[in-house]
Amino acid sequence: MGKYEGDPEWDDVVPIPQDDGEGALAQIAYTDEYAEAMGYLRAVMAAKEHSERVLDLTEHIISMNAAHYTVWLYRASTIFALNADVEQELSWVNDVALDNQKNYQIWHHRQLLVDHLYPSISSDPNAIRKFAESEVDFMTQMFDEDAKNYHVWSYRQYLVRKLNLFTEAELKSIETLLRIDVRNNSAWSHRFYVVFSDPKYSTPGSHATEYDPKIPDEIIDREIEFSKAATFEAPQNQSPWNYLRGVLRKGGRKLSSQECFAGEFVKIPENGEEDIRSSHALDFLADVWAEEGKVEKADEALRLLGDKYDRIRKNYWDWRRGTLKEEGITKGLAKVELAH
Amino acid sequence: MSLVSGPGRAGGNALPEELQLAIEPHVKYIQSLDTRKDELEYWLTEHLRLNGLYWGLNALHLLNRPDALHRKETIDFVLSCQADNGGFGAAPGHDAHLLYTASAVQILAMVDGFGELEKRGKAGGAMAVGKYIAALQNRKTGTFAGDEWGEEDTRFICCAFVGLSLLKLLQFVDVEKAVDYIISCANFDGGYGVAPGAESHSGQIFACCAALTIARRLDTVEKDKLGMWLSERQVEGGGLNGRPEKLEDVCYSWWVSSSLSMIGRLHWIDGGKLSRFILNCQDTEHGGLADRPGDMVDVFHTNFGLAGLALLEFDGLEEVDAAYCMPKKVIERVLGPGYYNDS
Repeated sequence: MGKYEGDPEWDDVVPIPQDDGEGALAQIAYTDEYAEAMGYLRAVMAAKEHSERVLDLTEHIISMNAAHYTVWLYRASTIFALNADVEQELSWVNDVALDNQKNYQIWHHRQLLVDHLYPSISSDPNAIRKFAESEVDFMTQMFDEDAKNYHVWSYRQYLVRKLNLFTEAELKSIETLLRIDVRNNSAWSHRFYVVFSDPKYSTPGSHATEYDPKIPDEIIDREIEFSKAATFEAPQNQSPWNYLRGVLRKGGRKLSSQECFAGEFVKIPENGEEDIRSSHALDFLADVWAEEGKVEKADEALRLLGDKYDRIRKNYWDWRRGTLKEEGITKGLAKVELAH
Repeated sequence: MSLVSGPGRAGGNALPEELQLAIEPHVKYIQSLDTRKDELEYWLTEHLRLNGLYWGLNALHLLNRPDALHRKETIDFVLSCQADNGGFGAAPGHDAHLLYTASAVQILAMVDGFGELEKRGKAGGAMAVGKYIAALQNRKTGTFAGDEWGEEDTRFICCAFVGLSLLKLLQFVDVEKAVDYIISCANFDGGYGVAPGAESHSGQIFACCAALTIARRLDTVEKDKLGMWLSERQVEGGGLNGRPEKLEDVCYSWWVSSSLSMIGRLHWIDGGKLSRFILNCQDTEHGGLADRPGDMVDVFHTNFGLAGLALLEFDGLEEVDAAYCMPKKVIERVLGPGYYNDS
């Protein structure tokens, strides 16, 4: 006898078995426990029942299969219908999430719960702070397992927006993760978001790729220094190099303002062997030199990248060399025309 | 279509000159997937069933074996997944969602089944599906929710555009607004994420590029910057990863290289090395491809590995459309013989 079949609490429900077309039923040999529970779920959904026992039932099914989207949706609607305790649900969801790192349905469920909870705490800064802390604690546990979990980071960003967490604490928390792994691109990306979308000083709706004149100089300087420090730690780490370029663009500054810094990792003597500690630095300098019209130097940097330091992308570097020459010719022609 | 991984494992020990595409074993592997209903995991992966059917069928089409699955059974199953609201769920009785609705339309397009949709689909045929999709657009921001529960993700814009354009109902939605939303998702590193400001991810980049391709608005992309980021996904072994400092995976052979192809920069990566990596992910004996050599095969990686090879114009495979991830032949049949000349 199944778990539900023998339970007086479920006497009134007639389970609806799986109908997967002709002849399929006989072949179904998935465990009786899962089959029985799904049968009862179909029945309560058909009757639109929202009750405590539905919460127990969905919890049981999720423990066997956390990826079943419809089960999560029905659970959420039941929680809202019963006006059940959301914080208690969140703490249960924490355990499920920790056991199912790759699961995606959980995070949508969590957002629905937070959207439901938020109006009740929105006017109380203390309650928001406490809630934010407990959420960050939970995410820290998730990051202990996988610090690049995309679902967790997406949720984190949602939470920053929802609870206005453009705070010192949020930046510190990212720094802690970067101290553990300076190559965590997710953390770098999140930092960019928190710094440059802060409503206290950024232009509302400014795109990540745009110059934002409202960002204070000291913020731009601080972020430049932040990415530099990380680069010294691991010169071949592409995240802070991308970050640096992003910051310079946000601040409307030229790449050449960082020529000296990039030069720390690249030594190309007139004679003898060059010393390259970072292909990203060489790439950066190639752009700087192109920006300054030093076509030959830029070309040599790109040649070294394609021939020696990043050979797998030789076609890319060759293409850059080609455009460099085209631009050089165009600029040269423009000069000739001016001279005339 | 079973989504269970295995039974085989990818070999990965072949010498370069031995690397061949194991066409017949792959066809047999996919055909065998629906006979595995006695495995628990078959049922635990029910929430992906319709996606799985698309993956398997597309792989068969790319292998030049479009008739390897029974056409009528395929259409029957797809239509049995349609919900009353016009959308499709992962399996009969599952809630409708854009992810499955797009797969349903793609499958029907491949088997030339739109006529059956008109005859036997929920009232309204294609129109009902179009209306379901259109109702999910957020008219304020332009983006799409996956279902009535409201979760938003750039993937859903792609699903909406794929479904609507194949049904020739793109006019049901505000394309310009959706394009503006995608533009707002562009990141400082050139990539795109799940939402504005979210980390760049090759899968999301594919979704954004595909949507922009269908909308004919690739002009909005900073192609050199994005191409640079995408080409940096190739690792020494030839495979591609989805984000910096992550492991390579066969599915990114598709997400990354199709995006590069859409923006005209596929030649920036080493195609020869990538082909060898994908071929090394095959189980040449029992069929199927895995995420990387040594791992268990599954239908998801089988499809995207083969699609990656097709994009690299590997011998013996059908030409693949980079935005739809479907055979170009099918796209031309559905959208008209001039489709590739106009774009």
